[in-house]
Amino acid sequence: MGFLTILKKLRQKEKEMRILMLGLDNAGKTTILKRFNGEPIDTISPTLGFNIKTLEHRGYKLNIWDVGGQKSLRSYWKNYFESTDGVAWVVDSADARRLSDCAKELHSLLREERLAGATLLVLANKADLPGALTLQEIREALDLDSIKTHHWRILSCSAVTGENLLDGMDWMLDDIASRIFTLD
Amino acid sequence: MSLVSKKCESISLLESNRDEIIPNNVTPDDVLKFNKITDTYLCSPDANVYDIDFTRFKIRDLETGTVLFEIAKPPTDFGVDNEGAEEVPEEPLDPNAGRFVRYQFTPQFLKLKTVGATVEFTVGARPVNHFRMIEKHFFRDTLLKTFDFEFGFCIPFSRNTCEHIYEFPSLPPNLVEEMIAAPFETCSDSFYFVDNHLVMHNKADYAYNGGINN
Repeated sequence: MGFLTILKKLRQKEKEMRILMLGLDNAGKTTILKRFNGEPIDTISPTLGFNIKTLEHRGYKLNIWDVGGQKSLRSYWKNYFESTDGVAWVVDSADARRLSDCAKELHSLLREERLAGATLLVLANKADLPGALTLQEIREALDLDSIKTHHWRILSCSAVTGENLLDGMDWMLDDIASRIFTLD
Repeated sequence: MSLVSKKCESISLLESNRDEIIPNNVTPDDVLKFNKITDTYLCSPDANVYDIDFTRFKIRDLETGTVLFEIAKPPTDFGVDNEGAEEVPEEPLDPNAGRFVRYQFTPQFLKLKTVGATVEFTVGARPVNHFRMIEKHFFRDTLLKTFDFEFGFCIPFSRNTCEHIYEFPSLPPNLVEEMIAAPFETCSDSFYFVDNHLVMHNKADYAYNGGINN
């Protein structure tokens, strides 16, 4: 095996990214993941574990981990932090009642050492529902402007219409790439 | 276009009666070096002390969104209602039942470009650390593809899925012809490790001559 081949292999390895999707239960993490990968979204039951997708997108090899958000599962989230490049935090825009819960979980996540370098994409999902809060309301409720430790962005989206899913993902990939693939 | 000529059946290997204790200190490095399909299972069904149970396999074509193949464990095994349970296998005493899957595809299957392969599995009461799958596909003694994937941690009593979406390896036309002409000589070994210890070994074989009159 020649030197060039070895270089290329390293390169391929480097182009891997690990994305972790988290958020409260019923936020729509699995639906977003399925929508993103062109799968039907009509029969989705609560995730009692994880759903992983590995795929290539824009030349990157993505490993996306969607871990269940039920309260009993949240204490296990820490087992999935290692080597995470980006966190997609999914919020149910129509669930005003649990927004403070959502903010609390998000900020405790951001204090995790193993997520220190990770890019944060907040997906305000179900934006198409009547009664959904505005992006500004969610941004304030989650106190996003206080976040100085992570690159972050918030987008409103809908797993049902597909609105903004690709834009959000692409922003996150660009941000991660500019951070870890600086030698390009 | 039908790609699957016949549903797969879970059958046991002919040599499944040899139930000798196999010394199991097989490592991931060992199986990565294998250059052909193994003759036997490299661990006993009892090695699966974590109660890892594969409950679904699915293959879809990303170009068309079509599900090409799907097999799920009957819902009775999930402790759900008994509806549609006619597929329950009646030979529960074979310790190797469920370790082998036979796939029968039509030749068109080998022309697919992008494929998504999903497995679904449940785990038992114990947390599973460093769960890793290494899967090797051979046609005769030619290695076609190796998957090496680390699931990492699995939550006790969880149900998990993993879909690998990948470009179908482009095979030389003469190899494709040989594979079509030689049903079930395309085989795979799936090795599952927990903390570098082999806990499961499953096998599958494949035919691509579905719909062709022999």
